[in-house]
Amino acid sequence: MKDPRVDRLAALVAGYSLGLGDGQAVRIDGAACSAPLALALYSEALELGANPYLNISLPELDEILLAEGTDEQIEYLSPMSWSEVEALDAMATIWSDENTRALSRVDPVKQAGWLGTRRKLSTRRWERIAEGKMRWCGTLFPTNAHAQDADMSLEDYERFVFRACHVEEATPDATAWWRSTSEALSEHARRLGSVRELRILGPDTDLRVGVEGRTWIAADGQYNMPDGEVFTSPVETVTEGEIRFHFPAIYEGREVEDVRLRFEGGRVVASEAARGGDYLDALLGLEGARVLGEVAFGLNYEIDRFTRNILFDEKIGGTMHFALGSSFEQAGGNNPSGLHWDMVCDLRAEGEVYADGELVWKSGSFLEAGPGAPCSTRGSRGSRTSSSATRSMSSRASSL
Amino acid sequence: MIEGASVSTDFLVALYRCVLAVGAHPVTRVGLEGVREGLLGHGTDAQLDWLNPRSVDDIECADVRIQILADTNTRSLSAIDPTRQARVSRSRSPILSRVLERSAAGEFRWVIVGYPTNAAAQEAQMSLRDYEDFVFGAAMLERDDPVAAWRELGTRLERLGAWLGTVETLRIVGPDTDLSFSVRGRTWIPCDGTFNFPDGECFTSPVEDSVEGEIRFTYPAVFHGRAVEDVRLRFVGGEVVEAEASKGRDFLEQMVAMDEGARRVGEFSFGLNEAVTAFTGEILYDEKIGGTAHLALGEAYPESGGVNRSALHWDMVCDLRQESEVYADGELVYRNGAFLDGRF
Repeated sequence: MKDPRVDRLAALVAGYSLGLGDGQAVRIDGAACSAPLALALYSEALELGANPYLNISLPELDEILLAEGTDEQIEYLSPMSWSEVEALDAMATIWSDENTRALSRVDPVKQAGWLGTRRKLSTRRWERIAEGKMRWCGTLFPTNAHAQDADMSLEDYERFVFRACHVEEATPDATAWWRSTSEALSEHARRLGSVRELRILGPDTDLRVGVEGRTWIAADGQYNMPDGEVFTSPVETVTEGEIRFHFPAIYEGREVEDVRLRFEGGRVVASEAARGGDYLDALLGLEGARVLGEVAFGLNYEIDRFTRNILFDEKIGGTMHFALGSSFEQAGGNNPSGLHWDMVCDLRAEGEVYADGELVWKSGSFLEAGPGAPCSTRGSRGSRTSSSATRSMSSRASSL
Repeated sequence: MIEGASVSTDFLVALYRCVLAVGAHPVTRVGLEGVREGLLGHGTDAQLDWLNPRSVDDIECADVRIQILADTNTRSLSAIDPTRQARVSRSRSPILSRVLERSAAGEFRWVIVGYPTNAAAQEAQMSLRDYEDFVFGAAMLERDDPVAAWRELGTRLERLGAWLGTVETLRIVGPDTDLSFSVRGRTWIPCDGTFNFPDGECFTSPVEDSVEGEIRFTYPAVFHGRAVEDVRLRFVGGEVVEAEASKGRDFLEQMVAMDEGARRVGEFSFGLNEAVTAFTGEILYDEKIGGTAHLALGEAYPESGGVNRSALHWDMVCDLRQESEVYADGELVYRNGAFLDGRF
């Protein structure tokens, strides 16, 4: 039986996120297990006058390629894929796995070569997105595999996903909800734009991050669905202090538990982890990995738990996340790196954030009056940043 | 490039692995049931007319195309307005033309391969298990050395094709059938499993304006999931001047009116796979039934010397196993489903 929530999610992504219209060429990417959402998106795109087509992947093929292919085959990009990048007006990516650990035993060197090859295509896509020639949105279709990662039943997980996207019955008009959320997020971003330094206080955490001159970007559902955060790239040389991450830090499917980092002069100078410390050290050895590429506030309060999926985890209402590695040019960042590792810090219980000495965030939400507070008067609405690009892009660029 | 519906995933994965093993670069195009229905059912004219640039690129760039035939519902397009189907076929005809052109020029190879599903078994009125036996039997996979068996069939087909190449006119006589046409100067192509799998036929394109007479097709003519029953066609000067059917006549007329070339014969062929004896409703097999002949309205194969162009290519099968004869330049050469005098 058709799930009306799937149709509403499809309508939201096709209409609100991608703004599809007459004659646009739209590719819908998804695994075969995401068929219900892929087909619903296809119908919505047709309804809006676009020219959609599906690009369905079979995950077992990736596994076979990596296990049995030569390096030359693994790093091959078809000429079709290059011309296709130039022809697309929009693209939707549906993340949906039948087994989130299917590539666990793949040779990491081969996998890196494969990801690097695919990144060439996504890099070109991001250029076209930045030039305003193409739009993209990533979303998720709930499966048992994702539910299992979240320690939930499929039914509960579906409810969680659709609530986070505001396509469940409680929200009569999902598009209207996201439009008004967009305004609130833009107001947070506008206010944070005048801040020079943030100080984050929490359990085993006292971190100072410089954000002067940087642009805060409202992530309002155009590039990810669900969405709900504001982010920027910190000044590269001034991060000082320490931070402890209670949620596991996950990169390429591998978990590192209870990460603690100490920063001096913008760089990680000491690191510790309860489990997976070797992996943490290895990644910190990459170029640009010791510098923060992103600082962000998670503001989607429907997302109330950690589910081992960064699409959701980085938006948990009341958290902040910090990414080691590559920064965002459109935010003013200047830390190129092959890594972009989001780590989520739970500030809901006893966290505080000070902006230039003033308390602006306590126990998981912005205070009314301070910078970052939602604007109740809606005076000068911050212009919706033209390049409100997603954070999920770097960490997930390979899937784009 | 490997194309197939998700219902054929097991086979697609196996093919992917084989393609990888020979050092090639497999690219997959996986179809989902419901997409075609969505477009044909709800698309605007502009959407039906849209030619996906990727599909064009695929044909321009790929060295080889493997198409897997696998349905989850052979009748899912039953309610679709045939003119919309014709419209989609027209908008995609440049792809078909390029496939045939590049293939004739030797730049591109393609093969269509059947994969058994419950829907196809149901269409053939068989269990899936029986249908699998049928499909794999037709493919000669139960032979000790299937490749050798196909090579041997290829040799026989080649010999037949060489002889047919010396023939100028053919006359097909059977129940309600008396059709004559010229094949002078045309090339007969032996089909030995390199373009279709399974295979087993020998075809050419008749001289376009030479087809005269009438033909009654024994089996339902299936096109885009629609069966037209008991088709009778009358030709004058190479063109269909009368088209009748006991069921689906409107659809037949609409397809024949699709474009100028749709009224002409693009292909005539003898079905020569003796392991295919039953009609299944899937043209990949039906056109190879040993002892049948088929003709296709529409697009001709350039490699046989045919010049007819159309967005249509609709094969219709005529059983010649009973009360049937074929004359080559006036000489009886084929009777009741078999060539005479060791010609095949």
